[in-house]
Amino acid sequence: MAERKVTVMSEVGLHARPAATFVQTAAQAPFDVTIAKFGVPPVNAKSILSVLALDVRQGETIVISADADGADEFLDRLAAIASAP
Amino acid sequence: MVTTVLAPVAGTAVGLAAVPDPVFSQAMVGPGSAIDPWREPGQAVAPISGTIVKLRAHAYIVMGDDGRGVLVHLGIDTVQLKGEGFRLLAAEGDRVRAGQPVVFWDPAAVEAGGRSPICPVVALDAAAGEVDGEVRGGVGAGDELFRWS
Repeated sequence: MAERKVTVMSEVGLHARPAATFVQTAAQAPFDVTIAKFGVPPVNAKSILSVLALDVRQGETIVISADADGADEFLDRLAAIASAP
Repeated sequence: MVTTVLAPVAGTAVGLAAVPDPVFSQAMVGPGSAIDPWREPGQAVAPISGTIVKLRAHAYIVMGDDGRGVLVHLGIDTVQLKGEGFRLLAAEGDRVRAGQPVVFWDPAAVEAGGRSPICPVVALDAAAGEVDGEVRGGVGAGDELFRWS
């Protein structure tokens, strides 16, 4: 299991453009990708409904996970999107 | 299975492409429509029946029992208002019927603050071809807006 722990820096949190870009990128992965917030069960990172409902605010930390060959490159891209200001 | 999605506010249905924010106009969030609301205080209602899975003053998501979620965004960049000028008429986790009031707001006040009050209504996780029957022109809150097949 590969994972990245990042703090969301966007002023709007993981909503609007950051959320849409995050989900579109995750959806390109040929394997399952999840996103979790502390104290909340992981959700499907490829679902805009799940990611918006997770309601990640600026300053909150998330964990992005995948269990597959080649996951590291995708997780690095997703971490970069989620942590961009 | 077809979900009928209702107009959450009264106004002119103009389509997503008319939204002055590429996140919505390019359907990055998903397909759907948008309403340019009448500039008068009014209620924004649930677009489908289900559970309010997320409720902020400026935006909400209702998820039907089939797992389909519809996002209603009240104006553009209205997250910056931090709820000022909006009044919640329901609570997160509430079960609502399509057409039931969720938020009271004033599109004229949003516009007076320099923001567009246009309301994107988005079928979340839907493919582009799944949305059709889009209504254009004048609609009342609770009128049919589009179908999600």
